[in-house]
Amino acid sequence: MDIFLQQLVNSLSVASVIILIGMGITLIFGLTGIINFAHGEFLMVGGIATWVLASHGVGFWGALLAATAIVGLLGFVLERGLFRFTLERPMNGFIVSLGLVVILQHVVIRIWNSYQKSIPDPIPGVWQVGGVRIIIMRAVVVGITAAAVAISFFAISRSRYGLALRASVADQETAALMGIPVRRYVTAVFVYGSLLAGLGGALLIALFPITPFIGSVVVVRGFAVALIGGLGNVAGAVVAGLILGLVDGLSAGYGLPQWTDAYSFALMILILLVRPQGLLGGTEGPKGA
Amino acid sequence: MPDDAAGRAAAIAAPPLPRGAVPAGLIGLLLLAAVLVGIAFAGPSYRFLSVAVSTGIVAIALYGLAVLFGQAGILSVGHAGLIGVGAYTAAIIAGRYGLGFWPALPIAAVVTALVAGVLGLPALRVSGHHYVIITFAFCALLTIVLTNGGSFTGAAAGLDVGPIGSLFGIRLDRLRNTYLLVVAVLLLAMLATHLIANSRYGRTLRSIRENELLARAIGINTAWHKIGAFMVSGVFAGIAGVLQAYYLRHISPTLYGAFPSVYLALMVMLGGPRLLYGPFAGAVIVNFLPEILDMDPVDARIAYGVGLVAVILLLPGGVMAGFAALARRARAVVR
Repeated sequence: MDIFLQQLVNSLSVASVIILIGMGITLIFGLTGIINFAHGEFLMVGGIATWVLASHGVGFWGALLAATAIVGLLGFVLERGLFRFTLERPMNGFIVSLGLVVILQHVVIRIWNSYQKSIPDPIPGVWQVGGVRIIIMRAVVVGITAAAVAISFFAISRSRYGLALRASVADQETAALMGIPVRRYVTAVFVYGSLLAGLGGALLIALFPITPFIGSVVVVRGFAVALIGGLGNVAGAVVAGLILGLVDGLSAGYGLPQWTDAYSFALMILILLVRPQGLLGGTEGPKGA
Repeated sequence: MPDDAAGRAAAIAAPPLPRGAVPAGLIGLLLLAAVLVGIAFAGPSYRFLSVAVSTGIVAIALYGLAVLFGQAGILSVGHAGLIGVGAYTAAIIAGRYGLGFWPALPIAAVVTALVAGVLGLPALRVSGHHYVIITFAFCALLTIVLTNGGSFTGAAAGLDVGPIGSLFGIRLDRLRNTYLLVVAVLLLAMLATHLIANSRYGRTLRSIRENELLARAIGINTAWHKIGAFMVSGVFAGIAGVLQAYYLRHISPTLYGAFPSVYLALMVMLGGPRLLYGPFAGAVIVNFLPEILDMDPVDARIAYGVGLVAVILLLPGGVMAGFAALARRARAVVR
């Protein structure tokens, strides 16, 4: 039983990063129709930025904030510079994002290198609760993720900005006629999703070493979470992220660790076929193409 | 008469080519054939030929992808997985049953076509982005299965393959002969693509691409044609896989993962999926030029990504479509 609890606790911190990336994807994909496969690369840039700043003597929390801001800015520039020209044809946006995957990955390799990078533990130490050992940093990651989830959830479902956003997803033209600056909301959602990716990257490098190739691994998880939970559905992303995190953690501890990745892909394909709208339902997804 | 219906739908979707247009395409192919064969006898370096062989193999698979995406409008980022099915089929039947290169070609083509048909099944239920992500997941799953396949798939280390057997006393495992073989298959693939694009079948596929509801409404069995397009592109991918297995002599799961698939899709986009020379141009630009120009591989990737983004935003039909538009404009100026 202790081993089970231990696996559960360990899975939670992995699930947290998956939830952060998945939440960004579900919001961007579900609410703006942009399929950004470079989202995982955004997370990688966040992690690398944290590493660069930390290795230049910036404290972890300062590096975390700066990395989050840098990735947010990156998202702003790319949305305004590239993705806004593809809003009418989402498939082109998807292809552009594939190009961005290649660019971001190799620019990072070009400037630094392709080796594994890690930072010293920001908060060393372990809590002993009953028979379960909790690494404090992991608990902090779970706490930050919970806060980000709560903010996103309430901003979208309770605030007037969230209402305006949902209105522009439901009917873009009518929303625009009501005076909602739809274009600006698209940018805002994209930047918000990018901020979450940057935060996820900073938290990920606090837990594990990362390489410039981490983006492609997490982005597929992110899309799995977004599609399993239902596009644009924050609660769905959280549920799906927890499911995938637990499946990952438990299959690593018990069954067959070499099949770990296969479970999430198989689950995603199954849900896309049986329930294309996701477990908890979401927006129709992007229109057209 | 569903066939007439297909013709009508195509007439709406795309204006019919003038009758004289077909030979023009064939003349271009003959010229290309002459150049490609000529290269083999112009004393190319070993490195030049080996890069050309690997580029040609990729291009063969790209023509399959071009039929699927350019004609039927279904984007798949799982195509490297299909090449992998072909390559592994060849390697497994060679290792288990001693079947060499020539029997492997038809067997791998059929097996890959069947797998491609299965991969196409979800396209009947979900479309667009959802489907793209399914193909991506298919590729990732395939890599995991190949890695965990034990001695049957050689696990992470992969499988070794013997040399290509001789044909009529010609040793095809010599690099120049391998090159000529790949050129021959590539030209056949281009010819097949040309014939498909200019046939009633091609028009039917394009009518599905342009307006699936309309195509269905006038009696086209869109489900069957979509699966058919997958199987056709699977044949191309399977043959490319066999060639790749016998050229590399060693295959492993990482060759056929999700990222090689993404690169294949991008090459087709870059060159132009709807044009006869588009996929060829994409393969040459991405695979051949950086190697021959001795570019740093990382720089080449960055240049490639930037070029791709620029092409998609500025020339959505691909590089070759840009050239075609330029040529039209030049001709108008001359007149």
